[in-house]
Amino acid sequence: MPPRPQSDALRGSLDLLVLKTLSLAPMHGWGISQRVQQLSEGTLEINQGSLYPALQRLEKDGLITSEWDTTDNNRRARYYRLTAAGRRALGAELESWRRFAAGLETVLRTS
Amino acid sequence: MRLFHAVRARLQLLLARRSAEARMDQEIGLHIDLESERLVREEGLDPQEARRRALAAFGGVERYKEELRDGRGLAWLGGLSLDVKLGVRMVAKYPALSLVSVLGMAVAIAIGALVFGWAAAMLDPTLPLEGGDRIVAVQTDRADTPGDFDQHVLHDFVEWRTALTTVRDLGAFQLADRNLIVERRGADRVTDVVAVAEMSAAGFRVGRVPPLKGRSLVDDDERMSGPPVLVIGEREWQRYFGGDPNIIGRTVRLGGTVHTVVGVMPEDFRFPRNHGFWVPLRLDASEYAIGAGPPIQVFGRLADGVTFEQAQAQVAAIGHRLAAEYPATHEYRRPTIVPFARTAEPTASGPEMVWLLYIFQLGASLLIVVIAANVAALVYARTAARTAEIAVRTALGASRTRVITQLFVEALVLSAAAAAVGLSLAAFALGWMQQLLMQKSQGLPFWFHLGLSPGLIAYVAGLALLGGTVVGVAPALKATGRRAYGNLQQFAARGSGMKLGPTWTALIIGQVAITVAVLPASVQYASALLQTSMRDPEYPAGEFLRARISLDREEAPPRADSAATAVHQRRFDARFASRADVLLQRLGSEPGVDAAFVSDFPEGEPHRRFEIEGDPASRNAAADVGGEKTTVLTTSSSATVGLFDLFDAPIVAGRGFVDADTAEGSTAVIVDTAFAARIPGGHVLGRRIRSVEPRRARAGNDEAGPAPWLEIVGVVADPPSTTPDPDDVALPNVYRAAAPSGLRRNDAQATSILLRLRVRNGLTPAFTRRLRDMVAATDPGFQLHDVQTDAEVLSRDVRMLRTGALAVAFATLSVLLLSAAGIYAMLSFTVAQRRREIGIRVALGADSRRIVSSIFKRASTQLGAGVAVGLILALALDRATGGMVMGHPSADTAGLRGAIALIPIVAGIVMAVGLLAALGPARRGLAVQPTEALREE
Repeated sequence: MPPRPQSDALRGSLDLLVLKTLSLAPMHGWGISQRVQQLSEGTLEINQGSLYPALQRLEKDGLITSEWDTTDNNRRARYYRLTAAGRRALGAELESWRRFAAGLETVLRTS
Repeated sequence: MRLFHAVRARLQLLLARRSAEARMDQEIGLHIDLESERLVREEGLDPQEARRRALAAFGGVERYKEELRDGRGLAWLGGLSLDVKLGVRMVAKYPALSLVSVLGMAVAIAIGALVFGWAAAMLDPTLPLEGGDRIVAVQTDRADTPGDFDQHVLHDFVEWRTALTTVRDLGAFQLADRNLIVERRGADRVTDVVAVAEMSAAGFRVGRVPPLKGRSLVDDDERMSGPPVLVIGEREWQRYFGGDPNIIGRTVRLGGTVHTVVGVMPEDFRFPRNHGFWVPLRLDASEYAIGAGPPIQVFGRLADGVTFEQAQAQVAAIGHRLAAEYPATHEYRRPTIVPFARTAEPTASGPEMVWLLYIFQLGASLLIVVIAANVAALVYARTAARTAEIAVRTALGASRTRVITQLFVEALVLSAAAAAVGLSLAAFALGWMQQLLMQKSQGLPFWFHLGLSPGLIAYVAGLALLGGTVVGVAPALKATGRRAYGNLQQFAARGSGMKLGPTWTALIIGQVAITVAVLPASVQYASALLQTSMRDPEYPAGEFLRARISLDREEAPPRADSAATAVHQRRFDARFASRADVLLQRLGSEPGVDAAFVSDFPEGEPHRRFEIEGDPASRNAAADVGGEKTTVLTTSSSATVGLFDLFDAPIVAGRGFVDADTAEGSTAVIVDTAFAARIPGGHVLGRRIRSVEPRRARAGNDEAGPAPWLEIVGVVADPPSTTPDPDDVALPNVYRAAAPSGLRRNDAQATSILLRLRVRNGLTPAFTRRLRDMVAATDPGFQLHDVQTDAEVLSRDVRMLRTGALAVAFATLSVLLLSAAGIYAMLSFTVAQRRREIGIRVALGADSRRIVSSIFKRASTQLGAGVAVGLILALALDRATGGMVMGHPSADTAGLRGAIALIPIVAGIVMAVGLLAALGPARRGLAVQPTEALREE
């Protein structure tokens, strides 16, 4: 089966956004998508459907863990939290993203 | 850590698939809820619209669920359970095909499992004791006569006990049979012959099993002057003492010695063979010369951390030292360490035996492949009918692997069902065999276990997998091969594009051929078995009793001094002769009781051939007769009581035995009428005969010169056959007379002879008990073994014969069924393929008879070819096996004629079954509607 094209941000950047968001506080899926939107002041909108597979992938890789808890409104929700490995991965990802962005910037700035 | 997380997440998800699904629903549900609430809150939408928008934003809940499942690596599981469901549905949809396939494979799996269970017990015996694989025996091989063991190792044993540090708890045992005499409720003396182990106390330490009651034996018990003590097993405690709670301290007689019971061992301790009576081994090595002493067997437990090889090296080193010190006795002694479980029959010890078992095992395992190939052909025909389905699935995006997996799982459902049936069959048969073995020999070691084991179940699972692979994958590969992709266009127009090639035809022909070749023989065999088992005994078998009788040699021969041993033996023989004589007289004085001691064969050969004096041709001719049986009878000193009286067999010519005939050197023999009939020239009395060496006798025996001539003094009417085996009836008999001591002297090693009794008033359990008492009263050392009536022996034989007939019938039936199913499948397939052609022919006005005959033509060609090949095969087999297939030509001509007559019958049956199988498909062919068949174009 051919890989499904990512309609939103690249897969790598989605992981980065999730990890970054979770590094601030443990959160449930909807919260993550809201938070990203908030922090990016509306520029970045996560495709909600691809968020969960991403969360599952990250959990499988041991970068995040999850546990069931109740929300402020007393609803059962699954809260994701960054693991130590996730924190390290976030550092590495940030680093490589910055290099990538800087490289891109350099290329784009060339007149 | 990452790996750990990954594994944990996967495991959790795998183990709790259902709850994972529920949690997934809950998580996505919450997301949708929160999103729609936000839309209501922030954008003022009404709740319904908000929910619709939220769902749309999520973008197809099911698709993401699917993606999540894929992420969990569970997609195949969902597919698998679907495949299994489909497989079960397929089994139900084609009940005949399923029945035949499952039955055929079940038989193959059962046979494989039987052989495996047997081989495992033979090849890999383990002691069911704690650390049983570290319990070893120290055996002393003889380097000068390979394969022999030296058991006169008392001095070596003493040496090992101090010097062998790699083996702990070294002990020894001797085995003996003793009369058990128990005083119960004052009077009732229950006597039985029991196996007693005279064993070092170390035997109990090696087993590491604590006693159930009292104590086990301790080292102090081995003092020569110690009181006689006895430890009994749980089973024996129940059986002989009714589970008496005050068993400890009770006294019991074993042979002539009164023992005090000091302990009861639980059921799982039956060391060293299958024992429930243990007395201390009391041997003083100083009483015997170096290299002499009673035979003992030595055991021990490998010390902690010591390997087999290390222990072997140490014991070999000690062996070398002893060989150097005492070359006269120890030059050829080679002590070795062997696993204890391998020291008792039946275990395969020789490498040839091991190889034979392996080959046998391989053959039995391959049987499933042959049967499965057959089933594969059937399934292939079904798969061919499903090409359309496969093509559609492929078109819809199913990968080839996916389609093959489905077909494989369907086959696996079949083979799993077959495995279940086969395993139950095998478990039943193994249990039955174990019971039979236990009955036949009480000496079966306690660790010999035929039955289900984890290994056996794994093996059967392997066979099922193998069968499933052959059945499922081969047709699937063919059905999904490159050619199959063209099927999508084809299937609408012309049914199936698959072909049944020459392999298929060859399979059918081969199957029919084997059926024709094997069926007559097996029908003949099964019916002979049945006939034999139906035969009524020609004599009142219920009145006859047989038992082996022996005399307990309680005291061992004194020293390794040949003169003293000879004296000991003479004393023993004299005692046996006089006591046996007393016993015969006592039995004879019982009202309505006749008794005789009988010993087959005088010199250890059960069948001997005789040369008739003055008839040089008889020397060779006799060799072709098939052998006569010599029976030696005893006569009591007061009256000529013997086997003839037992069976009321009258002397028809000459005289019966008289006392003088029992004297050593007497040449008088009596022959039966069957033997007399073989003497040429008519007159029998006074003719002289002598035994000639059987053909397979060793050349070295010729030096002994010809046997002495014997004179025929009488002819007795044939005694009735005492076995259900018809081959035994015609065997001529020669009888000699001997005193009980004479019987024994002929075979000094064997310690028992056969006692035959007839109780004319009918045999009751009370009489059997009384017999035991009489025997024990004559001499406490007299032991009765295997007491059984002829009726019991016969009925057991009959049971075995019937089981044999049943097994043969079962195997035959499965072969026949498989070929019928094969023919059916082939014709169904042919008709399906020719639908269009038949439709056109019907439309053009073809006569239905012609259509049917054209369908049958292929079937009958293949059947005919199969029958022809089968006939040739049957004749070849018959020639090769010297008449085994067609029955015994030498036995009687009726049997031969019967078997020959069977061949056309069998051929007819096979043809009929084949054509019957063709009937269904043919009817379907006739029912083809031309309009429908043509519309499919």
